[in-house]
Amino acid sequence: MAMAELAAQPRNEKAVKAAIGALAAKFGNRLVTSQAVREQHGNTLTWIENQPPDAVVFPQTAEDVQDAVRICVQHRVPVIPYGTGTSLEGHINAPQGGVTLDFRDMNRVLAVHAEDLDCVVEPGVTRKQLNEYLRDQGLFFPIDPGADASIGGMTATRASGTNAVRYGTMKDNVLALKVVLASGELISTARRAKKSSAGYDLTRLFVGSEGTLGVITEITVKLHGIPEAISGGICPFPSVEAACNATIATIQSGIPVARIELFDELQVKACNAYSKLTLPESPLLFLEFHGTEAGVAEQSARFGEIAADLGGGPFTWTTNTEERNRLWQARHDAYWAVIGLRPGAKAFATDVCVPLSRLAECVTETQRDIAEHNMLAPIVGHVGDGNFHTSVLLDMNDPAEVATAKAFSERLVERALAMEGTCTGEHGVGQGKMKYLQAEHGEALAAMRAIKHALDPQDLMNPGKIVAF
Amino acid sequence: MTSLLKPRDGKDVEAAVHWALAESKTLEIVGQGSKRGVGRAAQWDLSLDLSDLSGVTLYEPDELILSAKAGTPMAEIEALLAANNQELAFEPVDYGPVFGAGPGRGTIGGVLGANLSGPRRIKAGAARDHFLGFTAVSGRAETFKSGGRVVKNVTGYDLCKVMAGSWGTLAALTDVTVKVLPRAETEETVLVLGLDDATAARAMSAAMGSSNDVSGAAHFPAPVAASLQAEAGAALTALRLEGVAPSVVHRRRALEVLLKSFGEIAVLEEGASRDVWRVIRNVTPFTGGARALWRISVAPTRGHEVAAAIGEGAEYVYDWAGGLIWVALPATEDGGAERVRRAIAANGHATLIRAPAAIRASVPVFEPQEPGLAALTRRVKESFDPKGIFGPGRMYAGI
Ligand SMILES: Cc1cc2nc3c(=O)[nH]c(=O)nc-3n(C[C@H](O)[C@H](O)[C@H](O)COP(=O)(O)OP(=O)(O)OC[C@H]3O[C@@H](n4cnc5c(N)ncnc54)[C@H](O)[C@@H]3O)c2cc1C
Repeated sequence: MAMAELAAQPRNEKAVKAAIGALAAKFGNRLVTSQAVREQHGNTLTWIENQPPDAVVFPQTAEDVQDAVRICVQHRVPVIPYGTGTSLEGHINAPQGGVTLDFRDMNRVLAVHAEDLDCVVEPGVTRKQLNEYLRDQGLFFPIDPGADASIGGMTATRASGTNAVRYGTMKDNVLALKVVLASGELISTARRAKKSSAGYDLTRLFVGSEGTLGVITEITVKLHGIPEAISGGICPFPSVEAACNATIATIQSGIPVARIELFDELQVKACNAYSKLTLPESPLLFLEFHGTEAGVAEQSARFGEIAADLGGGPFTWTTNTEERNRLWQARHDAYWAVIGLRPGAKAFATDVCVPLSRLAECVTETQRDIAEHNMLAPIVGHVGDGNFHTSVLLDMNDPAEVATAKAFSERLVERALAMEGTCTGEHGVGQGKMKYLQAEHGEALAAMRAIKHALDPQDLMNPGKIVAF
Repeated sequence: MTSLLKPRDGKDVEAAVHWALAESKTLEIVGQGSKRGVGRAAQWDLSLDLSDLSGVTLYEPDELILSAKAGTPMAEIEALLAANNQELAFEPVDYGPVFGAGPGRGTIGGVLGANLSGPRRIKAGAARDHFLGFTAVSGRAETFKSGGRVVKNVTGYDLCKVMAGSWGTLAALTDVTVKVLPRAETEETVLVLGLDDATAARAMSAAMGSSNDVSGAAHFPAPVAASLQAEAGAALTALRLEGVAPSVVHRRRALEVLLKSFGEIAVLEEGASRDVWRVIRNVTPFTGGARALWRISVAPTRGHEVAAAIGEGAEYVYDWAGGLIWVALPATEDGGAERVRRAIAANGHATLIRAPAAIRASVPVFEPQEPGLAALTRRVKESFDPKGIFGPGRMYAGI
């Protein structure tokens, strides 16, 4: 969809005014219409134009959400749920205007069932907040996208992180949801049992629906025991290909690796500069193993052998928490390190995912493409899943640079699709990837649209995202 | 006897559904029919038999994925994977013996359509979590595809998840792609002897919360344990460890230390361990027989309270660390529906897996849904199958 199409959407000014009036009566100063706040709630992280909502409401309870949805639907005004606004494809833009529901104040951990390894949270709880809350009980929530996102937003985008190879993504870790539908009705998708499917799996229909089918007001997630021991380390490789082959061999041999992340040479340089490290400046794998003391030692040793067989190594690893944290901090700061390569620039993230056997080829071709177009774009990859990101550094105000980056991104998606991959492994569709969905999923779009029509017959739940109505 | 449509490929399936739509006929989708006994006792005009859509179409052991036509026998897929030291990590239940038929029946489409997942689900996830992509024909007679062959994608609604466990009521799967995983080199099982159900729940919870990577946690109360092992007669709590030999051994030792305060411990080595988990996976204590068989899912620590609340005449075993209870009850009157659902008290759900048709016609087989959820279920059904031609009434009356 072109930018012009995104902008030109029908709006009903009278209805918007009436809805805001009704919401103001109900929410008082928890309804905000200042331009600054509205703009903060539109897309700010990419070149996709900022399309602010007409008002922002800060609900405190599920009933507040029901009231807000009912008022909006009654006036036919769009509703856009908002967690922390870190999504990267224009998910939170309001192309037709409307009312954003910001979950900042719904940030309570409602229950922790330590023995059943699950907990119940409100959507505004962030992943770091949850883990701080859980730490004393020896538990953790594993999904760790690069940003400190909300659990609601992560559920809505089906987010993943660095340890998806072992713990899965949001789709594997959400057990039950409470959702306010377009009708204003509040439903529970499942009961707190571990196996949630009594009937159709409606829980997972909402996981990844990006606010387009309803508003999530409560989430039950799976927890994990903090491992008794963690070993982590880095392993240099002569080429991206050798690193990818080591990844495949590791997974194939059933070593339960928790994290396996690829940095290309440029990313390593950026991290050395930003995090004051002296990592060898070649393609690197960052690894982590979770388990018992003996288990992680044995797994680390086995990985070391695989790496050596493939021309990589030495694999230097440690179970010392401080050293490990220093390494992983560098991994988590990768985004900031990239920006450090070109101060003042913004980084645009791509997100393709390909079958593991094609990963090395895809990364290598992409590096060549980057070099040919004189771009600065380091690569990090969740290689255990075949998913990698390039961070294209650019000046968002320079149309020529934006055009080059866009064309690069399109070529990258085409390359991934040609390799039977996907245009997005974890960031989602939002506005930015809608057109690729047609190429990738042509025939599934009709089925998705049918679901959208059935659940949101007036197209008021985060309209203009995932599927055109 | 219902008559049969037997398509040979996806195009035939589309044509058959087209015809059924035009003629207002309802269809029962079957693979080998091994799970036909599950669901409400409803009548459909014809069977859409997919067993000729058979054959593995792509298997890349390095890539850990396999694609097959929906009617491919599970036996064929499992043998192929085993020859490459791989497996379906979700360990699907083999319902054949439960319904008095032989083992090794069923098709991959049926396994996914029923979301069948065995003991390893607590570690590796359910069938649906390994379901990467499919081609299917909707109730509009439209062929559509979803997902693909990568393990991670976020391209819109996750239709694989909705298809899994839809029991042939949304669309007819014609081709599927699943994730496969390396088979563990070896396994051992730690048994704790003589625990009552509540203590067993605590022991299993302690094991699951530890770093020992337990891949199965089941409890056989004394009456069922007695029917399994002639000499023992004490309750058995079983915890499985899988992996490479040195790792299994040291985790087994750690688990013995962790659990010794709960009760006397015994260890089953590889062969005996495999046997015991096959028993649990296929619900062997309750195969054949005329009793009603319930499958109850609750929060693991509540399992023993729910089982106790069902009362007299019930026999049961626990899997999934107490979160799954298989209950056998006399197949009289309502097959125990009233007391099973009272015992759950809206904190879980129960499915009546096996019972005479008369009972399945008179009590809800799947857990009844609250009105809001029921309305949503209906809308999802209608978005795939607006005319209600695929197995109407199999899951819920009128849907
Ligand atoms: C530096 C950086 C690194 C990142 N790294 C990763 C990564 O590694 N992996 C990854 O997956 N993503 C990553 N992301 C993307 C982003 O963090 C995720 O998509 C995240 O899940 C968004 O969460 P959020 O709370 O910010 O949601 P928002 O951006 O506020 O919202 C995202 C979408 O969810 C909807 N939504 C939010 N809350 C609700 C609700 N309660 N009910 C219904 N719908 C709702 C919104 O309408 C919107 O469509 C990264 C982003 C940045 C900036």
